[in-house]
Amino acid sequence: MKNSLVSIAYMFLITFLFTSLVSAVKFFNEEKILNNEKTKLQKVVLHVLDISIINKADEEILQLFESRIRVKKNLNDVKYYVAYENDVETISGYAFTVGGSGFWGPIEAIVAVDDKLSKIKGISFYKHTETPGLGARITEKWFTKQFEGLSLHPVSAGEKMFYLKPLGSKTDEKDLDAITGATGTSRAVENFLNSELDIILKNFDPLRKG
Amino acid sequence: MNKKTSSRDIFISGLWEDNPVLRHVLGICSTLAVTNLVANTLVMDAGLIFTLSMSCLTVSILRSYTPLRIRMMVQTLIIASYVIIVDILIKAHLPDISDALGPYVGLIITNCIIMGRCEAFARNNPPWASFLDGIAVALGYSFVLLAIALVREPLGFGTLMGYQVMPEGFKPWNIMMMAPGAFFMLGLLIWFIRARFPRTEGEQINGCT
Repeated sequence: MKNSLVSIAYMFLITFLFTSLVSAVKFFNEEKILNNEKTKLQKVVLHVLDISIINKADEEILQLFESRIRVKKNLNDVKYYVAYENDVETISGYAFTVGGSGFWGPIEAIVAVDDKLSKIKGISFYKHTETPGLGARITEKWFTKQFEGLSLHPVSAGEKMFYLKPLGSKTDEKDLDAITGATGTSRAVENFLNSELDIILKNFDPLRKG
Repeated sequence: MNKKTSSRDIFISGLWEDNPVLRHVLGICSTLAVTNLVANTLVMDAGLIFTLSMSCLTVSILRSYTPLRIRMMVQTLIIASYVIIVDILIKAHLPDISDALGPYVGLIITNCIIMGRCEAFARNNPPWASFLDGIAVALGYSFVLLAIALVREPLGFGTLMGYQVMPEGFKPWNIMMMAPGAFFMLGLLIWFIRARFPRTEGEQINGCT
């Protein structure tokens, strides 16, 4: 009996010590982590909207983001981004956060469209847990570049705005190259992105003031 | 046995005689997962070297106070704490590397080599020796992973550390990108090493993922 009490007390003490240590490390680094994530998201938004961020320091990126991008919310309280030209008046495009289930876990992406919602300007899959070297290749340039210029239009049931086909089996411009060896991820991206794009096209009204 | 030879023995044992992957077939899960790219392998190796050496050190320092029957819980707690600390520090100070690694840092917790060494060595040996043992075993693990990655990346992607190394027109072997490719590589490597350098005393094989 005495032994088990000692064990419990010991375990309690050790757990307390180590969780305190972890919490302390977390506490002192939290702001930095949040900042990193914020900067990363801003970079992604600027990048997909085709605003150059190459060779820019974090502060410059912040400035650029604040001058060229407005963050707004739609009716469902979901954030979206409006990009302006250099004159800060003409709208050059919109960016939306989209997401869905990947092969292993959720995938989040930001997709940018032009001001008329007729074409994709860029896309970036910025959060995912796909297999490195396989599904994780959705972040590679050759893959995301294929989406640029893809035309957007409402589709009827059963039809999709784009298809991911095995390498070398493309037949028309709606077909993009899938990732070899990552059929699960490719299929997941095809599914959630098509349905999210469809929702944006049907529900988003750029003229609505928000 | 003086101190010098004993640290030497620890290193020879960790790197070769008792190499965790080649001799004990431990840590296979991460070996299969991260060896498709050399860069992933290097960061996994660095993470494991830190976590394993620090965990062994801590387990060893606490070894005379820890009640025997709750030692495994204590070890798991220690290992998990170090892994989370590594994860936080990488996220705060090396965000790019953190992105490249994704979930792998967290997965170091599940590497059974760590618990294996805490159980087998650190809880019966003094702190300094345990610390060295941690480094030695982690290095033993690292060089096997690197050996596999150095074959898998060129064959699977045609690159090495991201640079094209295979001639133009080389068709990548898909199997090498995927976990089964690592199975073949690892199997061949273990077979070769064991056939070429058999151990004299009876071998004990502890399989674990």
